[in-house]
Formats: sequence, structure tokens, C-alpha cells
Amino acid sequence: MGEVELSCRAYVKMYLHACLFPRCGINGLLLSSGSAGGAVCVTDCVPLLHSHLPLAPISQLALTQVDVWCSQTQQRIVGYYQANACVSDSSPTPCALKIADKISEQFDNAVLLMLDGGKMTADYRLPPIVVYERRDSRWLLKDKHTIMLRHWEETQAIAGQMLESGDQALLVDFDSHLDDITKDWTNQKLNSKIAELASPANGNI
Amino acid sequence: MATISEMYDVGWEEMRDKLRKWREDNCRNSEQIVDVGEELISEHASKLGDDVWIIYEQVMIAALDCSRDDLALTCLQELRKQFPDSHRVKRLSGMRLETNTQEKRKISILKAQGKNAEAIRELNEYLEQFVGDQEAWHELSELYINEHDYGKAAFCLEELMMTNPHNHLYCEQYAEVKYTQGGLENLELSRKYFAQALRLNNRNMRALFGLYMSASHIAASPKVSAKVKKDNMKYASWAATQINRAYKLAGRGTKESKCSMKAVEEMLESMQITMS
Repeated sequence: MGEVELSCRAYVKMYLHACLFPRCGINGLLLSSGSAGGAVCVTDCVPLLHSHLPLAPISQLALTQVDVWCSQTQQRIVGYYQANACVSDSSPTPCALKIADKISEQFDNAVLLMLDGGKMTADYRLPPIVVYERRDSRWLLKDKHTIMLRHWEETQAIAGQMLESGDQALLVDFDSHLDDITKDWTNQKLNSKIAELASPANGNI
Repeated sequence: MATISEMYDVGWEEMRDKLRKWREDNCRNSEQIVDVGEELISEHASKLGDDVWIIYEQVMIAALDCSRDDLALTCLQELRKQFPDSHRVKRLSGMRLETNTQEKRKISILKAQGKNAEAIRELNEYLEQFVGDQEAWHELSELYINEHDYGKAAFCLEELMMTNPHNHLYCEQYAEVKYTQGGLENLELSRKYFAQALRLNNRNMRALFGLYMSASHIAASPKVSAKVKKDNMKYASWAATQINRAYKLAGRGTKESKCSMKAVEEMLESMQITMS
């Protein structure tokens, strides 16, 4: 199967989402604004829940809303991410598989990304992610060489810097949006901040 | 977060009388006693006269039940200061020490290690002894949800709703579990409990969306009578109006939430097309 590229913006937001709710399972959707063919370029993500991940109503609602927003903004849902509450276990849960299945019904090269909590320490070198793809109706580990994070060191630095500044408090997931619907789950403010921190020389990060 | 007096529009006298009634009726609604009592003693202690001491005792016992050790200790300290040699106060002191903090620590560790099945077993044992511990019941419901054991999660939430009939969150979570279990009967139950949550708090957006979705699904089911279909379309339509109104109010000001609002509008439209 093809390559997957993870943008700085997508990674940083997933990372901050996990840091904002350290003792909870969290999940979200991976989006792409690129064209359908070739490598899957995950350009953004939408953080969804930090409680009751397996329950249906809010998940269904969130999927529908994000779907509509994507069609309004020329994006598509290309994957799903999750971090488990228990840091030593980064395997996909039944609900992760279920949602990822649904996404792959609409997009052939969908990816399932698990954040590995155990590897999210201050001195980690590699991206703390485990990526799965769908082959023969099952979700199997993707070949590491097909997963790309361009400018990884810079991405990691931005994530660390924002964590230190407490910027994860700015992140709004769908759960938080439902608690206060004036909050923006598209996280425009956070996107701007990330863009500011990314060096201009790197262009489209 | 709103105070009890703000939420229910009651004065301190009504809160005091409520506590008295609960004492006289020997009610076991510890969470409510803690909510009302804590506010009463922190804001109005000076007005309570001699009643304050029996209220401290009542709140302390309820606080232990809800694993609010901080509050229990505060009450106990006030009682000790006032009645330094009292046997009754010594007995309360003993009650506090018996509260099984060791047990709870063990359960937290099991949860952190991801040993859900064991944590569930321990929590069940714990709750046999401390049946009024709301936090424990809620933790157990969350564990069952994560293990996809929705029947048992529902049972825990039923227990919580019984002892906390005014808590809109428990109603709404129960409705979500029922919706997840699926099937027409569960959907109808979920709609009823989403509606109940809204009665308790008309700003609970999850309940509002839940009402919309459950009513829409029921209306779309081929198994329901024409009357049931019509009723549920009415509920769904009402919910949709409320949702739109809430988003319009929210959108007035920030341009980012206009994204959400447009998405909701389109979503409601598209759901209606599939439901009709």
C-alpha cells in the first residue's frame, strides 16, 4: 500500500490532545486536503473525544459533522487516531477498529494511528506513533518506511514548545465543544499558532 | 459552576429545611446532601444557629459515603473544636478512619495498569461495603463502558439516577448507553432519557443532539406504527429547532463557530433527507 505523510499541524494537535487529557482515552479524525491518488497526506486532524469513546451517539454525531465540514472545505477524512488511557497498551480497541472500518468504507487507503503513550517522554527520538492500514479486511501494521514525517525534529520541537507554554489548554475537542458550543473544534487559533512557530523557510508544513 | 441556590433558585432556609427532612426520613442520598450541605456550611454557617452542629454531622457522614475526605475532615474538625470530649464525635472520627482508602488506591493502580477486569472485580467488592459511594459507581460504569459491557454499565447508571434524580449527566449517559445497545426498545428508552436530561438541564447539548438522533432513528424504523412515527418526527423536529437556535446564539460573535453552525445545519438537513 501507499505512503502516508503526516504534517506538522496534524501531529502537534494529536500530541497536544493526548497531553491535555493524560489519564483518558482520546481519539480524533485525520484529514487530508490533498488529492485522492498517490500518497496520503494527512494535513490536519480533528480531536473528538476524551470520554466514553465506545458510546455511539456522540461518535456518530461527530463523524457526520466533520464530514459535512470537510465537504465545505475541500478536505476528506482519511484516517482515525486514538491514544489509550493505559499508556503501556497501544493496541487498537474494538471501537477504534469499528470507526476505522467505517472510514475505510469511504476512503480506500484509510489509516489507523495509535499514539504510543509509553514513548511520549521528554527524551524520545522517534515519533511515538503506530500506524495500521487495511489489508484483506484486517488492520495490519504498516511498513515503517512508508510513513513520513517531514521536518520531524522541527515538529517535535514545536510540540514540546507548545506543551511548555501550556498551549494544550487552547485545544478544543468535540467533547469540549459540546460542553460549550462557542468553542471551535476546527481549532483555527491553534492552527495559526502552529503555523507561526513553523519556520517560514519550510513553506507548506 | 452554578451554586445549588442558583440552579434551583432556593434560599439558605430551604436548603436547611431540605437537610432536616432528609435527616428525618433517613434518606441515603449522600451526593445531594454533600452538594446542599457543603454550600450551606460554607456560605451560611453563621445563620444556622445550633442547627449547624447536626448539619456538620450529617454532611460529614454523607461526605465519607461519597469519598469526599476533604469535606469530611472539615466537618469533623469543626465538631471537635465545639465538642472536644464528646463520645459521639469520637465515633464519627472512627468512621472516617474506617473508610477504605487502601482499597481505592489498589483500584486506581489496577486501572492505570489497564487491568480493567480486575479493577471491575475489586470495585464491585468495594461497592458491596460502600454502597453510597457515587464516585465509585460512576467509575464502575466507565470501566464497563470501556469493556463494552453496556448492560452492566446501564445498571450502574440506574443506581446513580436513583440516588441522584436531579443529575442530568447521569440521565444523559444512561441514554447514550441505551442508544449504543441499539434495537427499537433501547432507542425509545434512550429518547426518553435524553428528554429527561433536557428537562433537568435544557442546555445539555449532548441530550439535545441525542434526542434528535434517537427520535429520527425511531421515526425511520419500518417497525413502528404511524402514530409513533409521527410523534418521533415531532420530537426530532423540535430538537432540530432548538439546536439551530442554540448554534445561532453561539455564532453571534465568533466567526469560527460559524463553521460549526453551517456544519450542523447541513447535517440536520442531510439527516432529515435520509430519515424521511
